[in-house]
Amino acid sequence: MQKNYFQLFDLPETCELNIDALAVAYRELQSEVHPDRFATASESEKLLAVQQSSYLNEAYSTLKSPLKRAGYLLVQNNIDIGKVDQNDLSMELLLEQIQLREMLDELPKDASALADLESLKKDVQEKLHGRYQDFSDSTGKSNFPEAKIIYHELQFLYKLLAEIESGEEQRLEY
Amino acid sequence: MALLQIQEPGGKTAKALHRLAVGIDLGTTNSLVAASCGGSVEILPDTDGDYLLPSIVRYREGQPALVGKEAKLGLIEDAENTLSSIKRFLGKSLTELKTQNKYLPYKFDESRSDTSPAIVTVDGVKDPVQVSADILRKLAKRAEQCLKGPLDGTVITVPAYFNDSQRQQTRDAARLAGLNVLRLLNEPTAAAVAYGLDSKDQGNIVIFDLGGGTFDVSLLSLQKGVFEVLATGGDTSLGGDDFDYVIADWVAAQLSSKTESEFTVNAQLLQIANAAKHQLSFDESVQLSFDDWSASLSREEFAKLTEKLVSKTINTCRRVLRDASLSVEDIDNIVMVGGSTRMPVVREAVAKYFNKAPLTNIDPDKVVAVGAGIQADVLIGNKPADSFLLLDVNPLSLGIETMGELVEKIIPRNTTIPVVRAQEFTTFKDGQTVMSFHVVQGERELVTDCRSLARFELRGIPPMVAGAAKIKVSFQVDADGLLSVAAQELSSGTKAEVQVKPSYGLDSGAIEQMLQDSYDNAQTDMEARSIKEAQIEARQLISAIANARSVDESLLPIDESRRIEIAVDELEAALIDAGSNQIHALIEKLNLVSGDFAARRMDLTIAEALRGESIDKVNSQ
Repeated sequence: MQKNYFQLFDLPETCELNIDALAVAYRELQSEVHPDRFATASESEKLLAVQQSSYLNEAYSTLKSPLKRAGYLLVQNNIDIGKVDQNDLSMELLLEQIQLREMLDELPKDASALADLESLKKDVQEKLHGRYQDFSDSTGKSNFPEAKIIYHELQFLYKLLAEIESGEEQRLEY
Repeated sequence: MALLQIQEPGGKTAKALHRLAVGIDLGTTNSLVAASCGGSVEILPDTDGDYLLPSIVRYREGQPALVGKEAKLGLIEDAENTLSSIKRFLGKSLTELKTQNKYLPYKFDESRSDTSPAIVTVDGVKDPVQVSADILRKLAKRAEQCLKGPLDGTVITVPAYFNDSQRQQTRDAARLAGLNVLRLLNEPTAAAVAYGLDSKDQGNIVIFDLGGGTFDVSLLSLQKGVFEVLATGGDTSLGGDDFDYVIADWVAAQLSSKTESEFTVNAQLLQIANAAKHQLSFDESVQLSFDDWSASLSREEFAKLTEKLVSKTINTCRRVLRDASLSVEDIDNIVMVGGSTRMPVVREAVAKYFNKAPLTNIDPDKVVAVGAGIQADVLIGNKPADSFLLLDVNPLSLGIETMGELVEKIIPRNTTIPVVRAQEFTTFKDGQTVMSFHVVQGERELVTDCRSLARFELRGIPPMVAGAAKIKVSFQVDADGLLSVAAQELSSGTKAEVQVKPSYGLDSGAIEQMLQDSYDNAQTDMEARSIKEAQIEARQLISAIANARSVDESLLPIDESRRIEIAVDELEAALIDAGSNQIHALIEKLNLVSGDFAARRMDLTIAEALRGESIDKVNSQ
């Protein structure tokens, strides 16, 4: 299948995606190609169904996640997101990340830290929201080198968010 | 003269031949079989009108095994040879089993302690797969009598939280019982289907499934007939049995000495405990007695004794909600499944946590089998295919061991299946030509905390400096939740593949051997059977292709159409008197020549679905 993920769902190639439209298109397509539709079909059809259905799942999970979607959009525009250039990341950003991480590590390991974690989470989410908008603007203007720099920053922020959340989980004893 | 067949106008299926398909709930305590009878799906009873088949098998010397209620008496009389709750043994080692349950009244073949647990009975050594197969056979026979014909396909349910080994062994048991498995279906998903089909509901549903030996929580979103599992969690070693053990422990602690042989005492204790537990679902307190000892147990006390078990289940609910990024208020319905949800302690705790009364209007013992029966009817093609669709997830993360005994997750838990994911690895030493892989399943960072699924090696890597080789490892999980893994060195194309078989299980050879053994006395039967199986497979393929051609003949160039016709004719001719090997070879050939046609049909299907999608969007704007 040569269609890219956006074309597969017949959606515009942009990071500001209508998630509801994506979900509707996904369910529609999956209703056609899922292996359950081929339970009594020939082996070659069964095999194809597994492949198509897997591809759809991969496409859906990529476009559903804001960060993965951003990365995919860059890759589609021939940007190598695997390589991080020293110049891509400002000293300022790195220092800020180190500070935030230290803050996270120094919080007490019990439930008393939950309020601080919550406020830290809000800060990070706000920052993420703003930078995602910037990313969207850059890609909208087809300024992909700039978008790549913002993308790496988004990676940092999402990683941090995940760490805050797992910190919450540990303290809530999930 | 034979009547001419006329195709239904506009229908995608060429003919509506009703095929016999059943749903089987292979439970820890009880098993059921359900099938579509004149429109609605019903549980099939035995000749006495009983629906539940106790999952108990009693092996006897020189006589066929007793299965179900006939075997029940043996639990006390003949505890060593009467096997119950065997589902808890699937995919586990003997050592694991013994740490989980000290009330096991069986003799084990200790020499096999690190492989599959082997139980010594008067009828020889029995494996959990064989015991499960005996239960499946009994259910299949019941269904064939009820439906008056051989079964074309079955859907067997498994706990959503079953790992790969447990799923493989369930499939192996079905194979041993001679069943054609259309799909392994997760129990909670089956329950959602049973509840969800009549109502055109939309929303989020939590399925709380506490059975005899396993516990599952699944969170599903239902939209326009598509059931999408958002997250699932659970414990394959937590169930109603554990509530029995708690009471048995409580009794044992108050007994002064044990007089009889330990097996019998354990079995008796468990029976008393089980009866008391059931009574407590109706009464505020219950009187227990054993020999000259007697005491009463109140509901309140029982709640205290089982507090840990109950809070474990609620914790799992929290975990699942968090995985799906939803909160308690987002949940529209809670469905209770499994006999153990009859316990008031459990119902109350669930209602309190979700702040909502759970649904209990379908019998919690039957709801899974009904859902499986509905799905079987759809999969075999008796129902219109677009009626509903189930999108399930893999319950546990799958990964590879890397340096330092760490786990690199390739497919995280709650990923929608089927799925294919690949990751690249490299060599550690200069000139390294062999790489060994260890496939594991679980959520922890360390290999030792995860379950080992398989080990395999990739040989013939061209010698290079360390870190230069690129080895791509691909994981594929199919719609049954079963994993296969392949590794390939990218510069040379050297390949290694493994269909993951449980480390604590039986390899393919052992299954073949067991199949062989079960037909030992009748070699001819064996060949007759495999011919019959091959013939069924061949007829299915021929009818699938005829179907496809009646709809999409336009996609077939004349030469290709001719090649397919020849292959169909050859296969049909072989059905008259050929052996199973020849039939299989011709099936292969037909699959091969029709492969391109199938691919074009699939592309067209996608294009059509997209077109339909675009029209919808235009209308709604």
